[in-house]
Amino acid sequence: MLAIVITSCNKIIDVAPQSNLSTLTYFKNTAEVNAGLTGCYNGLQAPMLTEWMLTDLRTDISRQGSASSSTVGNIELNELDMFTVNPPHAQVYNYWSNTYNNIRNTNLVLKNLAVSYDATSGTNVYGNITIPVAQVDRKRMASEALFIRAYHYFNLVRLFGGVFILTEPILAAEAKKVNRSSADEMYKLIIADLKMASDSLSNVRFSQIPTTSLGRANAWSAKALLAKVYLTLNRKSEAIVLLNDIIANSGYSLQSSYANVFSISNEMNSEILFAIRYKSGGLGIGSPFANTFAPLNSGSNVVNGDGSGLNTPTTELDTAYVAADARRALQIAYFGTGSTQRVYTRKYISPVTIVRDAENDWPVIRYADVLLMLAEAQGFSASSIALINQVRVRTTLPALNTTTINTVELFEAALSNERRLEFAFEDHRFFDLVRFGTTLTSVNAINTIRANFAREYARHYSQYYAPVPTLAQLQANINVDKLLLPIPQREIDTNTQLVIPQNKGY
Amino acid sequence: MKKVRCLLFFLFLLLFNNWVIAQKKTITGKVIDKATGEPLIGANVLIEKVKGGVTTKEDGSYSINLPNGKSVLIFSYVGYASQLITVGTNTTINVELVATPSTESEVIVIGYGTQKKSSVTGSVVKYKNERLDEVPVARLDQALQGKMAGVQIQNLTSEAGAAPKINIRGTTSISAGSNPLVVVDGHPVPDGLAFVNMADVESVEVLKDAASSAIYGSRGANGVILITTKEGKADKARYNLKASSGIKSSYKLHPLMSVTEFTKLHFDEAALRANDPTVPVNSRNLITPGERASYVIEQTLLDGKGTDWQKEAVRDANMSNVQLSVSGGKKEVKYFVSGSYQKDDGLMHHSSFNRLTLRARLDMQLGKKVKLNLNFNPSYSTRERPATSFIDFYRFYSFLPVKHTDKTAAFVNQLPQWAAIRPGDWAQARHFSNLTYSGLMPDGTTWSSGTSTVNPFNTSNNSPKSIMETRSINSADYRALNTSDLTITLAKDLDFKSKLSAFVSYTDGLDFTNRNSTADGLVNRGVYNTRLFIDLLTENTLSYNKKVKAHSFNFLAGFTAQKTLINESQTTGIDFPSDNIRTLNTALQIDQSSTNSFKNQIGLLSYLGRVNYSYNDKYLFTASFRTDGSSYFAPGRKWGSFPAVSLGWVASKEKFIQNVNWISQLKFRASYGATGNNAIADFAFVDLLYPSNYAFGSGVGTTTLGVALSRDILSNPNITWERTFAANFGVDISMFKSKINLTIDVYQSKTDQLLLRQASMGFTGVNETWNNIGKLRNSGIEFELSTNNVVAKHFTWKTSANISFNTNKLLELGGESFQLNYGERNEIYRAGVGNQLVQFYGYKTAGVWQSQAEIDDARAKGLTSNLTNYFTPGGLKLQDINNDNKIDVDDRTQIGSPLPKFTWGITNNFTYKAFDVSFLLQGVQGVSLINGDAFYNESRRLNKNYTANRWVSAMYPGDGKTPYFNNGFNQLLTDYVVEDGSYMALRELTIGYKLPTKVASIAKLSGLRFYCSVQNAFVIMANGYRGINPEARLTTGAYATPLILGYQRGGFPMSRTILFGLDINF
Repeated sequence: MLAIVITSCNKIIDVAPQSNLSTLTYFKNTAEVNAGLTGCYNGLQAPMLTEWMLTDLRTDISRQGSASSSTVGNIELNELDMFTVNPPHAQVYNYWSNTYNNIRNTNLVLKNLAVSYDATSGTNVYGNITIPVAQVDRKRMASEALFIRAYHYFNLVRLFGGVFILTEPILAAEAKKVNRSSADEMYKLIIADLKMASDSLSNVRFSQIPTTSLGRANAWSAKALLAKVYLTLNRKSEAIVLLNDIIANSGYSLQSSYANVFSISNEMNSEILFAIRYKSGGLGIGSPFANTFAPLNSGSNVVNGDGSGLNTPTTELDTAYVAADARRALQIAYFGTGSTQRVYTRKYISPVTIVRDAENDWPVIRYADVLLMLAEAQGFSASSIALINQVRVRTTLPALNTTTINTVELFEAALSNERRLEFAFEDHRFFDLVRFGTTLTSVNAINTIRANFAREYARHYSQYYAPVPTLAQLQANINVDKLLLPIPQREIDTNTQLVIPQNKGY
Repeated sequence: MKKVRCLLFFLFLLLFNNWVIAQKKTITGKVIDKATGEPLIGANVLIEKVKGGVTTKEDGSYSINLPNGKSVLIFSYVGYASQLITVGTNTTINVELVATPSTESEVIVIGYGTQKKSSVTGSVVKYKNERLDEVPVARLDQALQGKMAGVQIQNLTSEAGAAPKINIRGTTSISAGSNPLVVVDGHPVPDGLAFVNMADVESVEVLKDAASSAIYGSRGANGVILITTKEGKADKARYNLKASSGIKSSYKLHPLMSVTEFTKLHFDEAALRANDPTVPVNSRNLITPGERASYVIEQTLLDGKGTDWQKEAVRDANMSNVQLSVSGGKKEVKYFVSGSYQKDDGLMHHSSFNRLTLRARLDMQLGKKVKLNLNFNPSYSTRERPATSFIDFYRFYSFLPVKHTDKTAAFVNQLPQWAAIRPGDWAQARHFSNLTYSGLMPDGTTWSSGTSTVNPFNTSNNSPKSIMETRSINSADYRALNTSDLTITLAKDLDFKSKLSAFVSYTDGLDFTNRNSTADGLVNRGVYNTRLFIDLLTENTLSYNKKVKAHSFNFLAGFTAQKTLINESQTTGIDFPSDNIRTLNTALQIDQSSTNSFKNQIGLLSYLGRVNYSYNDKYLFTASFRTDGSSYFAPGRKWGSFPAVSLGWVASKEKFIQNVNWISQLKFRASYGATGNNAIADFAFVDLLYPSNYAFGSGVGTTTLGVALSRDILSNPNITWERTFAANFGVDISMFKSKINLTIDVYQSKTDQLLLRQASMGFTGVNETWNNIGKLRNSGIEFELSTNNVVAKHFTWKTSANISFNTNKLLELGGESFQLNYGERNEIYRAGVGNQLVQFYGYKTAGVWQSQAEIDDARAKGLTSNLTNYFTPGGLKLQDINNDNKIDVDDRTQIGSPLPKFTWGITNNFTYKAFDVSFLLQGVQGVSLINGDAFYNESRRLNKNYTANRWVSAMYPGDGKTPYFNNGFNQLLTDYVVEDGSYMALRELTIGYKLPTKVASIAKLSGLRFYCSVQNAFVIMANGYRGINPEARLTTGAYATPLILGYQRGGFPMSRTILFGLDINF
């Protein structure tokens, strides 16, 4: 018996994982790499949990729902709302960490496809691949991953400035040798990624896209994102070329009504160039926002499982929609009647069975954005006003004309306002305001946010727990440095080998 | 069956060999224990200078023939002082033997064998079970608290059935597990301390130093706890029935204010501020409309009597225990069979732990050369856990009734959305939101919210009581530990022992949440969990004992293999038609996002050897070696080896000491060895992929399979064994005829290649990584003292005391000078080279800012800070540690240590005639904790500990140390929340009365004892501690690593238990 035991024993300690795939054995063929790529799409969801906090909450779109609450979660939101973020801020780190986690996923796919980034030339190059993947599949998968990576880095550079560039998955020890890159280096990478994606991905017209590919990045979504990158860098002419190409050749178009764009029975419609998709039904990929944004203490009156009352529309935003604007009813709703009314955004609310498991996709690039970007790139002109009108008219608003919009300032104000009303709660406003600093002449992020403080002060900011900031203090919080978030303190603390510079003002 | 019968018959025949045929003069009598009056079975009765003799029978009786010319009989029994009796004319001689507290004959269980205590050279502490089962706790590990030096046991929660934390000689490991290895009857069992019936335990041995635990190799670094269960004795069937029952109650609750008290406090403070010219009129009364409204609700709708939520959480709970055992047998077959039932209701409602155990142990001598030992120990336990944590109760406002009354229902009915609420429905905070309120305030004024609505308590959470009552978390554990040991004597002095054992545990759990339990509109939800754990072990050892004149040798060589199979699954069903039908077949839908199954296999393969040598029982030497191969590591890194050596010198056997009268025994011990630790996550050497699906396609899309990396931990292909090298030096001294026994051990251990779950740069996309870096040193000294203070005819007094000091120091951290680790509130725990392993890292405070003038003055002198809201009167004032006139992250420093300076326990036993009293005082000294409640506004707001003497205004700064309300820092760790966690407890007190044997025997009982035992009769907590349970710590989530230690939030109250019991032998 002893002999039997001994001979069978070495097997005892040579065991492989029985419940998990591992990077040692997986990613050996097209289907497996494709599964990794699907994981990258899934990874787009996690940063969305906090993205609205870092963007719309910090603008005149929304405010903290429970200003007078002193629970830690709400205090974190107060700090974002009031521009008093400290470097250890938990939500800032969550966004950072979730974003970088998906960058790791994309880098893993790219590594398996032997695609590497050459920082000197600013290009991605195909190396020798060891697994059997057809070139056409390899290009498509790599390009989709590059699109997702570029999307993440673009958000990071806009929120934090130049951060850490990783173009392959690295070990923990290697990470301690990496310091921050400049914003220029980041844009170089983002443009390289998006160029390859827009060159390699399918550029068939919207109507010809196979239904199974809906939801994937394609040449048009890459071009649109690249156009936004160029616009942000004030490289307007390059943006204009791309945007005109999309308008002429993509086959994407505006939906007839604003409500159709967001209807859960009309997902991935002709207006959605790219969206972060959610699917309800207890699959683990549902949207949390129906519950997050529904009013607090509304029981099951708005959505099953009550709401958290976050991302509350500002009163000023509500009044900014004129009566005829069909967009208002879709975005802003009230719970209760008379003096008990509470305002909330219903853009992402659909019925749920399981809490935080709604259907609504979160649009990233819409055709309306393409039109308004082109208007922004072209500047004050009749054709730009016509582009704005395309968006306005379907919302049953009267068209603008050069008689009333007769100065650069009025045009820019109209454009800024149109974008704000059109893309409210789509996390555009903060990036728009910052970008307007280079693309427009008269709309200024700091002034806009300070004006929002002033408008909302009496009914909102004065309700914070002691010490209640004065309006002057509140307005002083926001300056050009504070348009960037701090690098999470954890990153600075964890690396004891390199000194990681903090952003100015923190 | 037939074979067994033959065997029994054969055994029966053997007994006849002892038949003694009468000769000449026959002496008869009975040998009993002097103390207990119990007969001694198998005691030797010899005739001086004559070979052979007899042994006493089951009733202690003997009969011996005295040859002519012989007149001296020798009565001896193991563990008793022998007696020489000269036979006179009497032919009946009854003898009472006295038990000797001699350590000479005591046997200690060590790894893979036993050893005489006198020849032990390592550091092994034995706790013999005498009255362990009378301690009013439910688990064996809890009962051991304070009893052994170097074994620190901490009850992290008083939830029923929860395991305490056990640390043997400090923390030797950072990220690998720090739990000691628990071995029950030779089988290492992960939760061995949970299911063993305390009354079944013969002894508990703890192997503390490397030399004694190295034989367990890769798993010995955290020490080893060996549990040996009782075996039968050759005797008639002896029954023992033990039953106890009692009541458990909360030792202390938080001093919370009702809303009425809270509002009054604010008005009192407002009155004070009214005298302070620096306070603007509109800043005097800072009570919010919501808080005013809650006062109005409490006064008008609840008639001033708010809900005491803490009382809704806890109860006086019942605890009872019944156990029956029978043991006996013949020389060839001995049995011990026991059954027990234990019911332990937790302090919180819906918290309970019930356990049924059965044990059957058979020791059989199969012929001259074969011994077989079989041990079957099935058990069944159920556990219910409360669905809400205690913290949810003590941060809830008193104005909210548990259920709606006529008044409150009518009140909330005025809102259309709550029109359907009826008296008796659960009351929720939201029902009272969005209403207008008006009423009298404490100062007599009338307040009205006017037309604007108020939310008295802005929370979307349902009341903790309603959740607790509508969600049930139950699990049942089926466990069976079955071991068989076969020992074959191959040749003289050469034994082969083969152990085959299996531990099987199956857990079946259901977490069922009723419809609308946690929030309105939510369907019911049932989470089914199962876990099958099978652990198979084979151990094969050869042992050879040889004694040549003064040299004695013992060799042991062996091979062991252990295979563990784990199979877990979770299925979540939602939307059941009824809350009462809870089977999956009725669920409308399966929630795939929380449905999964998991399978794993772990293997360990080992070769071991040990040699013991002693010369004249005076010079002792032991060396052992073990090599382990583990499936936890990558190929090429699987094997690790663990050698150890130890020496002993029994100085009291030397002539020059034998002359020293007061020394009964003196022994010096020294040891050095290596042990390992592999208790890390499975497959840490490879990055695992997890399902990460996404929907592509038109419409709502079709789910597409995807995979992604873990967000939590980055693999490291190079990780391997962590090894601890430890040296121990010990002295055992018995003085004054063993009246005083003292053991002192000094040790130092050094762990290198520390398995570390290390924070990684967040931009790698993963928060932590596995690493084998760093060195950690533990050193300490332990004292165990036992004294027989008084041994008189009717009165005895014995004391045993232990105290242990342990310090650790991080020697190296893979080239880094420190590492910061983060808890749930981003509070920082620093592991710095040259310091203790864990240090709280934050800001030191210098009281509070007393006034704006003080702030203005400081700023005028150049003080700046980029911390939000730092310059706030009544807020905490931080110290400028680096003297740069700027308060920033560089001013963080070490502000406390979660590791205790020393732990101690003193047990005193008194007996007076039939009465006995024993008590255990136990304590921990010099330990800091972070009081998480102080971090949370909502949990400290109503707590008087945080409002007494607080800052009110510049004129009324309170004690100058307590900040006003939330004018502290939520995100920053300061020493304001660091508190002293030291305590001293009268942990156990037992009073017993034993019925005199004569009285008992009338009822045909051989013994009857009544007792009463009390746990936590009193607990002295440190000054400045603002919690209710100094032992409570969070250990889940971020706190699962030993690097993040010492955080307390929401701990259960300590329990005080009073138990009455009886113990019957027949």
